[in-house]
Amino acid sequence: MNCAEAKAILLLYRTDADAADPQVAEALALAEQDAVLGRWFADYRATQDVLREKFRQIPVPAALKEQILSERVVMTGKKRREKRVMVAALAALIIAAAVIGFFNIPRGARPEDSFAMYQEQMIYYAGAGYAMDLATNDPQQVRDFLAQHQAPADYALPGPLAQAAMTGCAVKEWNGTKVSMICFRTGKPLPANLPGDLWLFVVDRKSVKDLPAAGTPRFTQEEHVATLAWVQGDKLYILGTPGAEADIRKYL
Amino acid sequence: MAEGVDFEDLVARYYAPLYQFAFSLTRDESSACDLTQQTFCVWAAKGHQLRDATKVKTWLFTTLHREFLGSRRRQTRFPHLELEGVADELPVISPASVNQLDAGELFDALSQLDEIYQTPVSLFYLQDCSYNEIADILNVPLGTVKSRLARGLARLHQLLADKSKP
Repeated sequence: MNCAEAKAILLLYRTDADAADPQVAEALALAEQDAVLGRWFADYRATQDVLREKFRQIPVPAALKEQILSERVVMTGKKRREKRVMVAALAALIIAAAVIGFFNIPRGARPEDSFAMYQEQMIYYAGAGYAMDLATNDPQQVRDFLAQHQAPADYALPGPLAQAAMTGCAVKEWNGTKVSMICFRTGKPLPANLPGDLWLFVVDRKSVKDLPAAGTPRFTQEEHVATLAWVQGDKLYILGTPGAEADIRKYL
Repeated sequence: MAEGVDFEDLVARYYAPLYQFAFSLTRDESSACDLTQQTFCVWAAKGHQLRDATKVKTWLFTTLHREFLGSRRRQTRFPHLELEGVADELPVISPASVNQLDAGELFDALSQLDEIYQTPVSLFYLQDCSYNEIADILNVPLGTVKSRLARGLARLHQLLADKSKP
């Protein structure tokens, strides 16, 4: 191996791990023996180290990770919706078959009425890059707006949640029933498409079946969204935020 | 199968190097964010098809690169270049003068490289990928990766040397 060949090999040298290659090892040995080649290689490596550092200093946007994870929530919701559409289509076929006398399906609670389905739908709303119907940090304006739109407005906020920064509200529908969505901020970096990262959903308890036991908040971890659900008075509450159990329990 | 790979762990581990790779290709924060996010969207939809969980990193970089090429809507066949003589073309450039360049000047120089050199050079400096992984990502033989790298590095050094001249 001559110096020119060694140079061509050392051009691609990155770390000591590369030295395991016999050709690289030979080139390195030559660089140790040849002063001119050795000096070139030392300078070249120093320049490469500076360049590598500059590449690795590319600043990564602070909210990018949360953005990607929140998009995942949306995608999961979409998948489940697609699955529900397929299930609904299948159910329709079965019902049609029943109507024409092939089957006799007993009547029961529709799965779309269940607490699990309601909760899933609300989490989907939260992660879907929703737009608030009213953007305000005034709690009374939120109640007035919800009342004007026939959505639950006489809800009771737990003490710690009442201290959180409110950002507004939206009115959603669940099987023909109005749902109040009240939005807050936790103070963490916010994904670009979300106006809040802490959401409270309030609905008439009679519109949802299989409710959590009264007085005992039910914790659920859905993907990276933590939720707590509880029944109080005539209402069902679901509180959700991206994070873990401790991130949500501190608001009760 | 890669079905057991936890999505959140995957994002935590790779979103930063993927973003840096995307930024080195696009030089635009918004486009780099989009490419990074799109890569994880593709993973969410198709990642379960990957049989070898050890290939996740390569798969993600490959996907990001494909998305980038797709966004450029440009496909070209490129020749293999020999390494011989490349080292002789390498200009002398001191670490101090490179250090004085700001990131914008560096990525401006990078963007002036032909696309066939730009991608392997980015992956080379980001150092998250071995030569074999770069070959997998670009779907070219190892020798081609090395020749493109050698040419790309020589050209980049030339551009940086020009920029650092008073």
